[in-house]
Amino acid sequence: MSVNNTSMTDGYIELKFGPRWKYIACVRGFIQNFLAISIVDQSKADKIAMAASELLENAVKYASRDDTHILIKVSPATEEIKILVVNTANQESIDTLLAIYKKISEGDSLKVYVTQMKEAALRSDGKSHLGLARIRYETGGDLKVDIKNNEVQVSIAIG
Amino acid sequence: MNRLNIEKIHEDRMEVEIFDDDSNICVKFKGDIDMEDPGVLLDPFFNKLHEGVVAQKIKEVRADFNELNFLNSSGIKAVAKWIMKLTELEDDRKYIIRILYNRDITWQVTSLPTLNFLVPGVVKVE
Repeated sequence: MSVNNTSMTDGYIELKFGPRWKYIACVRGFIQNFLAISIVDQSKADKIAMAASELLENAVKYASRDDTHILIKVSPATEEIKILVVNTANQESIDTLLAIYKKISEGDSLKVYVTQMKEAALRSDGKSHLGLARIRYETGGDLKVDIKNNEVQVSIAIG
Repeated sequence: MNRLNIEKIHEDRMEVEIFDDDSNICVKFKGDIDMEDPGVLLDPFFNKLHEGVVAQKIKEVRADFNELNFLNSSGIKAVAKWIMKLTELEDDRKYIIRILYNRDITWQVTSLPTLNFLVPGVVKVE
């Protein structure tokens, strides 16, 4: 992962871990603490921690290998925050993710979130498919999904 | 024990408990709900809650989230699934779900009011 375009004044943390569910809460707490010293807006920090947690949950659920990777970059001058979560997934998981992303990335974010909630309520497969819609609505950020071979990169930028 | 005879859930950092609240019911959520599939525990809990409330003709359930630090999207799904059960009831059997939330917890401020839109008129968010 490249951080070559990081300015000397940008702060960032980068974590790589074997995807285990029990680590997510710990990483969420760590990110909250990191952001508390990096930015003033506590509400924004909380939203980022939530988004990171949801993205990590997706990565852990769908990763086909170890080495889930999260990068959080903070620009102190603008308080813009970028999160990037990277993992490897099989084609079926990638297809599912792309279909969900296409569905939730257009239209009014509140309407999309409520629609996804109603659909989730009808699911009986133990999955919600609600995380990305939640992130988009609650953060108001710019959510992107990129696939390179079997590597999935999900990023969000919050200004 | 509450009048619905439903046991408390206490798993990992999640606690969900029912209390009698005058003639109504309060369900209180505490801790963090962030396990992989909270529905495994919450779905049967909400089913019993819903059936008991309907059978005893209880008019209102207060859902108190004030002490819930985190709820993942799978947990939101479980709450939404419970609320959507109200659409299966005829109007005269519907009960109110009054949601109490903590304005100091950011995800609560943004996510919990959206539950209003699932079944308009029966979910009140305070």
